[in-house]
Amino acid sequence: MPGVIKCLTAKLAGRYVSYSDKVKSGIYRPEFEKENCGFGLIAHMDGKPSHWLLDTAIGALARLTHRGAVAADGKSGDGCGLLLGKPDAFLQAAAGELGFKLKASYAVGMVFLNTDSALADAARTTLETELRAEGLDVQGWRTVPTDNSACGKEALTSLPVIEQIFVNAADDMDTVAFERHLYIARRRTEKALEPDDEMFYIPSLSSKVISYKGLVMPEYLPVFYKDLGNQALATNLAVFHQRFSTNTWPQWCLAQPFRYLAHNGEINTVQGNRNWSVARGHKFETDAIPMDDVRPLVSMSGSDSNSMDNMLEALLAGGMDIFRAMRLLIPPAWQNVENMDPDLRAFYEYNSMHMEPWDGPAGVVLTDGRYAACTVDRNGLRPARWVMTKDRHITLASEIGVYEYAPEDVIAKGRLKPGQMFAADTETGQLLLPEDIDYLLKARQPYKKWMAEHSRHLESKLEQSHLTGSMSNEQIGIYQKMFQVTYEEREEIIRVLGESGQEAIGSMGDDTPFPVLSRQVRSPYDNFRQQFAQVTNPPIDPIREQIVMSLETCLGRERNMFEETPEHAARLLVDSPILSPVKFQQLLELGRHESDYDTATISLNYARGTDLQAAISDIANKAAVAIQNGKVVLVLSDRDISEDTYPVHALFATGAVHHHLVREGLRCDANIIVETATARDPHHCAVLLGYGATCIYPYLAYECLHDMVRSNMIEHDNVTDLEGNFRKGINKGLYKITSKMGISTIASYRGSQLFEIIGMHQDVVDLCFTGTTNRVSGIRFSDFEADQKQLCKLAWNPRKKIAQGGLLKYIHGGEDHAYNPDVVNSMQEAVKSGDYNKWKVYTDLVNTRQPLNLRDLLKLREDTTAIGIEDVEPMEEIVKRFDSAAMSLGALSPEAHQTLAEAMNRLGARSNSGEGGEDPERYGTIRRSKIKQVASGRFGVTPAYLRSAEVMQIKIAQGAKPGEGGQLPGHKVNELIAKHRYCNTGVSLISPPPHHDIYSIEDLAQLIFDLKQVNPDGLVSVKLVSEAGVGTIAAGVAKAYADLITVSGYDGGTGASPLTSVKYAGGAWELGLSETHQILRANNLRGKVRLQTDGGLKTGLDVIKAAILGAESFGFGTGPMIAMGCKYLRICHLNNCATGVATQNNILRSKYYSGEVEAVMNYFRFIAEDVRQLLAGIGARSLTEIIGRTDLLEALDGYTGKQQSLDLSALLSDAGVAADAPQFCMQPFNEPFDKGELAEQMVRDTLASIENQSGGEFSYVVRNINRSIGARLSGEIAARHGNLGMADNPITLKLTGTAGQSFGVWNAGGLNMYLEGDANDYVGKGMTGGQLVIRPPRGSLFKSHETTIIGNTCLYGATGGKLYAAGLAGERFGVRNSGCHTVVEGIGDHGCEYMTGGLVTVLGKTGINFGAAMTGGFAYIYDEDNSFIDSINQDVDIYRIMPEHMEAYRNHLRKVIEDFVKETGSERGQFILDNFSDRIGKFWLVKPKAAELNSLMDDLKRRAA
Amino acid sequence: MANNFQFLEVERRDPEKKSVEVRIQGYGEIYGEFDAEHAREQSERCLACGNPYCEWKCPVHNYIPNWLKLVAEGNLFEAAKLSHSTNTLPEVCGRVCPQDRLCEGACTLNEPGFGAVTIGNVEKYITDTALAQGWRPDLSAVKATGKRVAVIGAGPAGLGCADVLVRNGVQPVVFDRYPEIGGLLTYGIPSFKLEKDVMKLRQTIFEEMGIEFRLNTEVGKDIDMQQLLDEYDAVFMGMGTYSYMKGGFPGEDLPGVYDALPFLISNTQRVLGESEDCIDMQGKRVVVLGGGDTAMDCNRTSIRQGAASVICAYRRDEANMPGSRREVANAREEGVQFLWNRQPIEIVGNDKVEGVKFVTTALGEPDERGRRRPEPVAGTEEIVPADHVLIAFGFRPNPPAWLADHHVNIDERDRVTAPADGEFKHQTSNPKVFAGGDMVRGSDLVVTAIFEGREAAEGILDYLEV
Repeated sequence: MPGVIKCLTAKLAGRYVSYSDKVKSGIYRPEFEKENCGFGLIAHMDGKPSHWLLDTAIGALARLTHRGAVAADGKSGDGCGLLLGKPDAFLQAAAGELGFKLKASYAVGMVFLNTDSALADAARTTLETELRAEGLDVQGWRTVPTDNSACGKEALTSLPVIEQIFVNAADDMDTVAFERHLYIARRRTEKALEPDDEMFYIPSLSSKVISYKGLVMPEYLPVFYKDLGNQALATNLAVFHQRFSTNTWPQWCLAQPFRYLAHNGEINTVQGNRNWSVARGHKFETDAIPMDDVRPLVSMSGSDSNSMDNMLEALLAGGMDIFRAMRLLIPPAWQNVENMDPDLRAFYEYNSMHMEPWDGPAGVVLTDGRYAACTVDRNGLRPARWVMTKDRHITLASEIGVYEYAPEDVIAKGRLKPGQMFAADTETGQLLLPEDIDYLLKARQPYKKWMAEHSRHLESKLEQSHLTGSMSNEQIGIYQKMFQVTYEEREEIIRVLGESGQEAIGSMGDDTPFPVLSRQVRSPYDNFRQQFAQVTNPPIDPIREQIVMSLETCLGRERNMFEETPEHAARLLVDSPILSPVKFQQLLELGRHESDYDTATISLNYARGTDLQAAISDIANKAAVAIQNGKVVLVLSDRDISEDTYPVHALFATGAVHHHLVREGLRCDANIIVETATARDPHHCAVLLGYGATCIYPYLAYECLHDMVRSNMIEHDNVTDLEGNFRKGINKGLYKITSKMGISTIASYRGSQLFEIIGMHQDVVDLCFTGTTNRVSGIRFSDFEADQKQLCKLAWNPRKKIAQGGLLKYIHGGEDHAYNPDVVNSMQEAVKSGDYNKWKVYTDLVNTRQPLNLRDLLKLREDTTAIGIEDVEPMEEIVKRFDSAAMSLGALSPEAHQTLAEAMNRLGARSNSGEGGEDPERYGTIRRSKIKQVASGRFGVTPAYLRSAEVMQIKIAQGAKPGEGGQLPGHKVNELIAKHRYCNTGVSLISPPPHHDIYSIEDLAQLIFDLKQVNPDGLVSVKLVSEAGVGTIAAGVAKAYADLITVSGYDGGTGASPLTSVKYAGGAWELGLSETHQILRANNLRGKVRLQTDGGLKTGLDVIKAAILGAESFGFGTGPMIAMGCKYLRICHLNNCATGVATQNNILRSKYYSGEVEAVMNYFRFIAEDVRQLLAGIGARSLTEIIGRTDLLEALDGYTGKQQSLDLSALLSDAGVAADAPQFCMQPFNEPFDKGELAEQMVRDTLASIENQSGGEFSYVVRNINRSIGARLSGEIAARHGNLGMADNPITLKLTGTAGQSFGVWNAGGLNMYLEGDANDYVGKGMTGGQLVIRPPRGSLFKSHETTIIGNTCLYGATGGKLYAAGLAGERFGVRNSGCHTVVEGIGDHGCEYMTGGLVTVLGKTGINFGAAMTGGFAYIYDEDNSFIDSINQDVDIYRIMPEHMEAYRNHLRKVIEDFVKETGSERGQFILDNFSDRIGKFWLVKPKAAELNSLMDDLKRRAA
Repeated sequence: MANNFQFLEVERRDPEKKSVEVRIQGYGEIYGEFDAEHAREQSERCLACGNPYCEWKCPVHNYIPNWLKLVAEGNLFEAAKLSHSTNTLPEVCGRVCPQDRLCEGACTLNEPGFGAVTIGNVEKYITDTALAQGWRPDLSAVKATGKRVAVIGAGPAGLGCADVLVRNGVQPVVFDRYPEIGGLLTYGIPSFKLEKDVMKLRQTIFEEMGIEFRLNTEVGKDIDMQQLLDEYDAVFMGMGTYSYMKGGFPGEDLPGVYDALPFLISNTQRVLGESEDCIDMQGKRVVVLGGGDTAMDCNRTSIRQGAASVICAYRRDEANMPGSRREVANAREEGVQFLWNRQPIEIVGNDKVEGVKFVTTALGEPDERGRRRPEPVAGTEEIVPADHVLIAFGFRPNPPAWLADHHVNIDERDRVTAPADGEFKHQTSNPKVFAGGDMVRGSDLVVTAIFEGREAAEGILDYLEV
């Protein structure tokens, strides 16, 4: 959720000192703010108001407290609120007391006024005036009775004056008109007041709903707002919300719900959506509203949810109905859903042509007073469960079980699936299920007919390559030099894309400088670092969940969305924004004949003598003029280079034109086609699209392919194929880049500016990249101009050749590399010999190098007083702060992995297991890894594994490829690896891009809670990667009770990933660490967590600088690898590491690995010795003394013009935080607010039975607030008896009620739990043994196989045990299961994704995309209506079980169902057993393509043994 | 698809080497040539390291991994093109470079024991084969600038310079006092390491490229420096180092004591048929003093001339000798005996050489170049009998006297001052005069001389504003 600091765009500070003012000198920016939350709605279907409903809503909010953030005083939260159906009787009475005369049609506004009475008076007057101007009758103001004792300290500092205004409609006004006039009056008022009054805000002004919200905890809401405690207040519906913000500085106005909706999730594309709302604002025309008075429609700051609410409001005010409006904002996935109803598909396609989705994880509850509705995003990333009871109440919330109802009163229960919307109509009493709403929408207009008749596709026919390849050798040489194509780029990037259709893979991260530090001419694209999702929103797997992804691009003018006409369909569609030569020609051709596509080509080459900035502005002006003259397609072309001109870089031109057109209101009339030599890899294309390009024609890349064919560099006779492959590779890369930010469609990505700029001057950003984060200043227009002139000189000089390269690998005369051959060799000599003098050779090379990282421009002050080295803490103390970075067994050879572990342990430091389990034989020995990693693949994560840890690290992202998953190729998965990862040998193992149990910050809090439950003595660490905003995420992580936080830099990273990820994602740790340290201090959280950094740390000086910037702990990855003999070959992904460090090849490991424990220890001892000497030099006795002491550093001027343009002062700022605020962690643990009292009770009750292995049966009642039930016991069991040691004498828990999240998480053998009721998300996550049985309460009326009983992402990473659930499971059931056997009665989308083992039996419906990336185990699916075949992913095969040769499976299945029925009493199961012979024909056996049919049963038996 | 495990599955294999019996009978090269398959198989062993240590160690920074890949892919002509983009004489470097100390020594595969990629032989293969198949440097796009540069010395530095100049449209005219091009390549390096046809072919190619040679023309004798300065836009000097280092012990002037270079040159001239006069070791007991590549050349030439015995004595141990290990091995195979840790203190004899008096040494602390200093051990003197002694202690610069007349400065060690990082690379104190190679650096490798010649050409081009 980017952007929160002000609801209003106020510039003048009132009395209230905003947080942004406090920290503005630091490196934090308010737009980094994120939030997630719990939410819900409750409504009486027939609109019958009651106070009970209000109480229930507040009670439900309180039972979602664990989804919000809580301050230590138990009062200060991040805000919560209620949006109520207008409580008519109560308001009438209140008005009566005040002598107001209300008409039948009246509205009440909830208003936050400034505490400055003059400002408040002005606000009242303005609002009254505007309302009257709309013909409305203002009756007066009511002071809302409040009790400030309900507020915490922070809340009070910003508490506004809260009043209500009562307004009568004009006599002849209907409700629709009345609402519209209220809207106009409100907008005018806001626009008038915003500049001068920061506190003024109108939470609601409506004749239908009223908002009560604020910065209090849910249970204090009725205390603070006395109205809510008043029994007379009765309402028929309530939408409720509790906020979990990553920052603790609160904002009254940002509490939710907003005027229509409450949102749980994050709009990833909000910046683009906002810009487009400005651009499109001019397209919205309706006679009903004076549009100029209400524009801008959407707040450009504030929270994303707030902006979305604005947009929804604008659409409704313009006359759109609530369903179409909501489906426009958050459509389901439709582009790739093959079996979607064609009419419905046409509805979405038609509507997509005029508005891009607001994309990101979203659960939205909303009401307009009549409908109470909920919708979830296309990926179903936020849970929403509903219950309908006999008394006609419907409740929906993030969790099931948020209020008490008798099981026998429940008529129906369910959940919203991905992309679905549902609503209760309180006027008609009708429940509109998703199908009903779909039907309403598709039947509105003949969309399919309109689309068929008017829309067109730009399609490739038989493509001929003669359209490109037109350049001569000489020409292509000039272009390559002008636009910096190197031999390396041709060979490693363009050729690979052309030959294989995918990006090249690289290893070992990026060790080159940012352009601003470099002494080479670098592409402006290199200044842009891709943003990626971490914690507050999940990345998507664009390969396995391709079904939600789309690159479809629409050309032509946009039209007014308030109208629906056949002509709205008259647009031109193209599958991908990367144009082939033929499509580009077709488009130009079209422009010659049709005025709707009239084309203007604007040259990016400008005459010498003009300056760059003027040239860019000139291009932008030309573009605007062209559009005003009726052109539609703008081609920005750098093709016509000449010796008399310089090219404007296409990126500058694109951004400047886009922003200029947005500001001028012309953008939606134009398409920007960039014909450029500069775009040659996915990142280049993504940056262009991110700054507004509609399509890209990368002609030079095509020319290079032709040239390589001509010179036999590529042996291929069909260049058209190569061009096609190239586009395919770019498209895949675009999917990867957008999905890494959690964005599914290129339409939403376009213009969303999801980059951090590092090292550009603000003038450049303001003109070309308006609004992009840019924190350290840097390269000026004049520098870019000088660079381009240099390239021109080179280009037109025939004696200069194209450069060899050097950005990927070290090349003499090319770009600097931090791990160049001298550095590697000298370090190895030093650590092998143990000679500190040789180490000095190494440190001299590193510490005196040309500036290559930001820290190289920071210098220790020399005016300090030195102390004797004997007074400095000993080396042994310092090395305790060192961790080795996570490198899995799988990435490293077992020999290297153990060398590292032993070295760290002998030093008293810690090594990190990485993802991939650990041999239990190493537990407790000198070879164990003290840090156990929990990554998205959850390989080998069992209760015993977790109990063996001192630290449990949740890897959210890794430096080399943040936002991406990983893959261990099958050839690396040998017996040993397979054993520890609980999978079969030889199959590829995939780690998903997201943790499927972390889609938001409250989910992370849950996982942390899960881990602390299973291992209460362990610390939980969360590994993040530096990017703009990582500090606020870290603050959220601290509030989620992590004990340690790691902020990694881009330059670390040993993993394999596509080269564009290596080069362009992830920020510098210097920025991320400073931001995190500053923001944690500002929020009073720094004393609660330990902070670590890693990323290219090489010497003691690096450690000292990191400590000064705020770290108290330090991670090392590449360094110790090199100490073990790694030569920085960057071939780790090929399994052929010649040094035996990063390979599983037996010969390489056994014969050629030469790593020594002693060498690794020398490495760390030497660094510690460096640290001691430096500490002595600055007069500090210990590292602790210098943490956060930024006064000890000073910024250097730099040695080049570009370096001198940097401003690093923000790094060295105290961000306005009091000096006495803690600089480092002051407490041993970050204790969760939730004490898990029920779990502790269970431990007290059962501990004796566990210790004696005697088993026993115990009974408890559970509620949704009892989370991670079972984990405490499993931890105690595993600690004493291992994962399965108590399986023969189990403890049995009999439970009733609704279990909170993570029921049975990390379940160990020896714990069996029987739950009568239902459960929330993550049931059986990471379970390794035991049995979980869940069945509906006795007396339930609903059919179990139609009713959701367990939530999303159950059995994620399970390695064994059994789960039986008599009901439906949610989405992503069995994801990454590798051993659990389970039976359920139906599952949601993406079932068994990434599964590597185990058995899944589904006795009912499955959702789409079943078995994506499944490589092991198998499933039985009951397919009653023969629809399953549409649900499977291409990674699996299906077989019938009927045939003779499948008899073994038939018998097996029968036994499986019998066991299930025996445990659950399932009617569904019994029915199938009773009719087995005629039902068996409806079953499928599903197996991964990677496995053999005849080995499935054997595998099952072998694994069971 | 390349085999990532080629380095493990296929051993390092050089081309066939002629047997000792055969090779010492003549002066032909001892190594055979790769065929395409063999070259491909060996090239594919390259790991394409993230840090190309070979390229980093190579004095001209050849794009080794790139051309290895091209050879592995069978794209010979592109490999030749790429190879020539950093090196004027790749086929020569492939033969005479001490690869085991440079690229192959740095190869990642070398240290763990896989055996380095056969970089030298592939380099040689690329150019030999491409030229044999008719490939020629493509100068069709070169536009003549009308500028002319005189190059003094047709050795590696001069040729390197001329090559770069002609490719950029500047007319080089190369002067050399000898009748053949190549300088020490032709006269100093025995033909069993570098057959003379190689330079002949190269001369033809250079001439086809437009380089003009004025051979048998010594500047300062046959033509005046001033004339060059008057007639040309710039002058490049790459005249090498021809003064022999002396041991400074008694007996160095005795008859039968020869400096290495005259010995090697005379032998070459006889092989080339330029002269019949030759210092001949037939039937003699020969002692060669020194441990560098020149010493090995003397050893092996002596063997071929039919010496009765050849003993090579060096004052450090084998690990600390400067010469190529490969050459030591070849010499040993051919019958040379080595005496390590022997420092000559006198050449004994009456009127002619009778023997060499040595003292045994022990190695002390490393010196500034990292090599351990030999320290004499008292009481270990011995005399090794000899008929002839060849002294191969290296060379010092011998700048011509006329430099001063043209304001070209030299330093205290007689080296021409022409800094690589000056305003124009390798410009001397006379702006119009550039210099590179051994006469600037002091005696060094062939490949470094090539590199400096090429760099100087860049300096000249910049100076001439080409």
